[in-house]
Amino acid sequence: MENISKIYPGTVALKGVDFTLNKQEIVSLLGENGAGKTTLMKILYGMTAPSSGRIFYNGEPVKFKRPIDAIEKGICMVHQHFMLVPAFTVIENIIAGSEPGSNIFLDKKKARQEVIDLISKFNFNVDPDIKVEKLSVGEQQRVEILKVLYRKADVIILDEPTAVLTPHEVDDLFAVLRRLKDDGKSIIIITHKLKETKEIADRVVVLRDGNLINDNVDPKKVSTKELSEMMVGREVNLQARRPAKHIGDVCVKVENLTIEEDGKEKVKNVSFDIHHGEILGIAGIEGNGQTQIIEALTGIRKPKSMRLTLDGKEITGKSSDFLKAGIGHVPEDRLSMGLVKEMSVMDNMILGYHRESEFCNKKGLLLKKQISQYAEKLKTDFLVKASSIYSAVSSLSGGNQQKIIISRVFSREPKAIIVAHPTRGVDIGASEYIHKQLIELRDRGAAVLLISADLDEVRALSDRILVLYEGEIVSESMPGELSEIEMGLLMTGGNYMVEEGRHHG
Amino acid sequence: MTFNTEVIYSIISSTLRSSVPLILAALGGCFSVRAGVSDLGLEGMMLAGSFFSVLGSYITGNAWLGLLFGVLFGAIFSMLHAIMHVTYKVNASISGMCVNLLATAVTPLLLNEIYGMSGKSPIVEAFKKPNWQWINSIPVIGKILGAQNILFFLAILLVIVSWIFMYKTKIGLRMRMVSENPHAASTVGLNVTAYKYFGVAMSGCLAGFAGAYLSIGQMNLFVEEMTAGRGYIAVVINAFGKYNPLGVLGGSIFFGFFDALQTIFQNIFPSQLVMMTPYVFTLLVIALGLGGSRGPAGVGKHIDN
Amino acid sequence: MVKKTDNAGKIKMRSSFINSAVALIISLILGMVIIGISGYSPIESYMAIFGVSLGTVKGFALSLSQATPLIFTGLAFAFAYKVKMINTGAEGQLYAGAMAAALVGAYITNLPSGIHAFAGFAAAFIAGGLVALFVALCKVYLNANEIIVSLMLNQIIIFFTSYLANGPLKPPGSGVGQTKMIEDTAKLTKLIPQTQLTTAIFVAILTACLLAYLLEKTVFGYEIKVTGHNLKASNVAGINVSKTYLVTFALSGAIAGLGGAAMVLGVNYRFVEGFSSGYGFGGISIAALAAYNPIGVIFSAFLIGILRSGTITLNRTTSIPVELVDIIQVLVLIFVAAPDLIKAITKQVKKVKPKSSREEHMEVKTHDI
Repeated sequence: MENISKIYPGTVALKGVDFTLNKQEIVSLLGENGAGKTTLMKILYGMTAPSSGRIFYNGEPVKFKRPIDAIEKGICMVHQHFMLVPAFTVIENIIAGSEPGSNIFLDKKKARQEVIDLISKFNFNVDPDIKVEKLSVGEQQRVEILKVLYRKADVIILDEPTAVLTPHEVDDLFAVLRRLKDDGKSIIIITHKLKETKEIADRVVVLRDGNLINDNVDPKKVSTKELSEMMVGREVNLQARRPAKHIGDVCVKVENLTIEEDGKEKVKNVSFDIHHGEILGIAGIEGNGQTQIIEALTGIRKPKSMRLTLDGKEITGKSSDFLKAGIGHVPEDRLSMGLVKEMSVMDNMILGYHRESEFCNKKGLLLKKQISQYAEKLKTDFLVKASSIYSAVSSLSGGNQQKIIISRVFSREPKAIIVAHPTRGVDIGASEYIHKQLIELRDRGAAVLLISADLDEVRALSDRILVLYEGEIVSESMPGELSEIEMGLLMTGGNYMVEEGRHHG
Repeated sequence: MTFNTEVIYSIISSTLRSSVPLILAALGGCFSVRAGVSDLGLEGMMLAGSFFSVLGSYITGNAWLGLLFGVLFGAIFSMLHAIMHVTYKVNASISGMCVNLLATAVTPLLLNEIYGMSGKSPIVEAFKKPNWQWINSIPVIGKILGAQNILFFLAILLVIVSWIFMYKTKIGLRMRMVSENPHAASTVGLNVTAYKYFGVAMSGCLAGFAGAYLSIGQMNLFVEEMTAGRGYIAVVINAFGKYNPLGVLGGSIFFGFFDALQTIFQNIFPSQLVMMTPYVFTLLVIALGLGGSRGPAGVGKHIDN
Repeated sequence: MVKKTDNAGKIKMRSSFINSAVALIISLILGMVIIGISGYSPIESYMAIFGVSLGTVKGFALSLSQATPLIFTGLAFAFAYKVKMINTGAEGQLYAGAMAAALVGAYITNLPSGIHAFAGFAAAFIAGGLVALFVALCKVYLNANEIIVSLMLNQIIIFFTSYLANGPLKPPGSGVGQTKMIEDTAKLTKLIPQTQLTTAIFVAILTACLLAYLLEKTVFGYEIKVTGHNLKASNVAGINVSKTYLVTFALSGAIAGLGGAAMVLGVNYRFVEGFSSGYGFGGISIAALAAYNPIGVIFSAFLIGILRSGTITLNRTTSIPVELVDIIQVLVLIFVAAPDLIKAITKQVKKVKPKSSREEHMEVKTHDI
């Protein structure tokens, strides 16, 4: 790809980037969120056209108008969010769109045979007749890869493939990729994960803010610190820890939390406490019960059983009761759960607390003047970048949107607060700010429950770490006690000797 | 009311007759939903079919050509739904209601403009009851089937063909993929817009056919608002039948039974109360939660570029 | 001072207003085509329509009286839409309200004038509200599609009231299905003699103002808006979503019911079979044209009322079809609902003039339908 530029209204996503992929090589395309890596690959596989620049494939110039053009040439993409139909079987998912059979009818027998052949050739270990909704995340990813192999791809692009995998599944994936490379395929991995880049890539290409920084990095010779500095453009202190100054009495006590969903126990009799002035981190792969626990602790969902006390007082009821009791909540997904993007910054800053006496009088009327004064103060105090408090939230950046939620929750000085994935999709500047606010809130005596899929974030911020696997707490440790590999093993249910005696009963 | 076999035959005949428009319209709904588009506009497409099939027969003097007209205009009206929802991303319920409201507003106007009449149209060539000796001689079901006109058999045939299309052909699989996950479908190179338009057009054709059955299949003229909400009942039948042609067939016959009851009860109870029965029954079905089965996962979802 | 262009609310209002205005203009132009097909000159016809409906006293009164039920049904649809519920049941709620008002008006005696009329409205309010509450309960607890339930109820209510009016409640000697005439104390005062314009229009305008106040100034209005925009966030924020749905939809139906009372107490003085000439569904277009804004509904109902009044009057002397307005209403709904469609059309037509639609590209996209 030569001199590729891509201009969107309002931003330049790529500025004259050159990118090459050699045969039988695995290249890692590295960069932060917004660096332009996904855009570059979207151009390569035909989803979008470059504003300028050319693409050459096997020496010939090519122009892709739609993904099908790229697929026909042999360039296929495995997306981060799987493009599968849960209600269809594995076979149906693989063949849909390129079905075998000489006439209008589906040749189910031939399809089955072809898929089974592929599965055994690459040793994928997936049941072809099962409905995709019943597969694990790792297995679903393999189906995605089978899809591209079925279409005889020579160039395979993987977008953040390890984002949803356990460390064990990542190893499986890398083994598969090496097998594919030996078979003659060329692979591009889009990622922002440094350790995995070093493990699998033959060559690393770094993008930053739409520019090509370096396209010939040897992963064996470079350190993760150097890589991250290339990605970010300045020195980054990855693991800065600020340990708790004073951990007080137990604030939040959770006992016997059990949650059932669709007949299965998603959370199995979990108990833990959080002290004043402490950040308790829960590490775990998404889907192991975190969402359910958050919902139970914020009153959104009524669990099968739970006894929750806050400073000794029992809390029950609906989400409004929990909010009133002083439990703050920074939700997992800010736009779908924490904000109303069509409404103004001001309106969003009282969301959840809008019935408090300072915003609403006994007759049910809103106290508009008080609300706008309150919003102005929060905007200033928390550095929310917006034209005014009347602007629609949709016009703000992700980081500033998150700041609205942070300002709203933190300024109520909650006794306890549940924070989920606070820096997901947030740029590094805002992330650092949010972490700082969390630490300060903790130091003011709040009990903080941090749930995040970002293991680095959990290890950097927590004073104590629990690992959640399949609805159970499988380990409790102090930060630094367990290595990342050990934590990874626990997150996937691996047996771990040191565990004995560490279980929080 | 004497309870003998004649009465039973008559009830079953009536049931099948009443179920034909429901089968056709709900089958159309299947296509629409299985392409990922909600089927709320069936009522308007049906009404258009009723009106324009009469017009076609009026102009050509031939019932079959009239039917063709009905099918064609059902499809044309369905394009409003497709354009508003698929291309301009309007909420499918609103665009469906627009089709219904447009048909309701346009048909009286045209009645006036074309025939100079109001309330109903002149009488036209229609489908006659067949008189097939060979069917009548089949024991038991012969009499029942013999009382149906040819459109009934055509409808059954369409159900079977539709089922084969959806579940046994490549295009059928692709269309269903579009209804389940349009994003995924577009990444394997399917033209999602084309499939959705196809689904909606098929629903228009079939609903138009259903409407034509009401006007020139069962009767021989058009009466204002003659569809009387059957299109909405078809929407419920579609959900009840799990958006599957065979399920829809069964569901339509079930509902058709309640429609047929009207002819039996109308001498006993006040006419207005009798006419209420299909709607009350539909409401009961919904209230019991039977009309809310989960459809394909991607209905109403648009692909963003 | 806050810059006007930053204000989320103001931006949305401006682009909605432009959208509605353009939709109306396009629909009127298409209406001209229909008039032309009927064999009349479009320009002269429109001039005649507006001349009658705005220029004469009787015509003006008819404009306002035609607008009255539309304000009620328009408010009903618009209000329900604030929580993203679609109330297609206004017609049935209208009939239920009408019957309730007719019964209170006719069978309760010895009430002073104002109180009796008020009681009629109250009964209609409750009747319409109960119907809508039933629909909302189905939606909230049975996960039913409120559109279908409402439509089924429409048919049921219309048939049932027709049964009552033709059967048990029919006064002896009546030719059509209707109920006993209401007491004089229940009748609404006419604002202009020998017209259909009554004090009901004040009730309509007052209702619109109350709804606007509710939405903007109260906590409940805030919760309605949050729920309508983002259901999940509403749950997380501790809002009782079920209650919000139920109360909002019930209110919506109650307001539609008031429209029925307006017709019974002011125009017909009894329940008459088939009294509604499409007021129920007409409310949908009115609401869309008003961009679902309660105060806007007053104006859009008035605009359509003008068209109806002119067409009805002219229909006596010419054969300009009365259905013309019905079609214009549907066209308005189509165009308001599809703003991008309008943009595509305006791009073709207005090539030289500076386009107001260009501004909308930069602004926050807030249209939901």
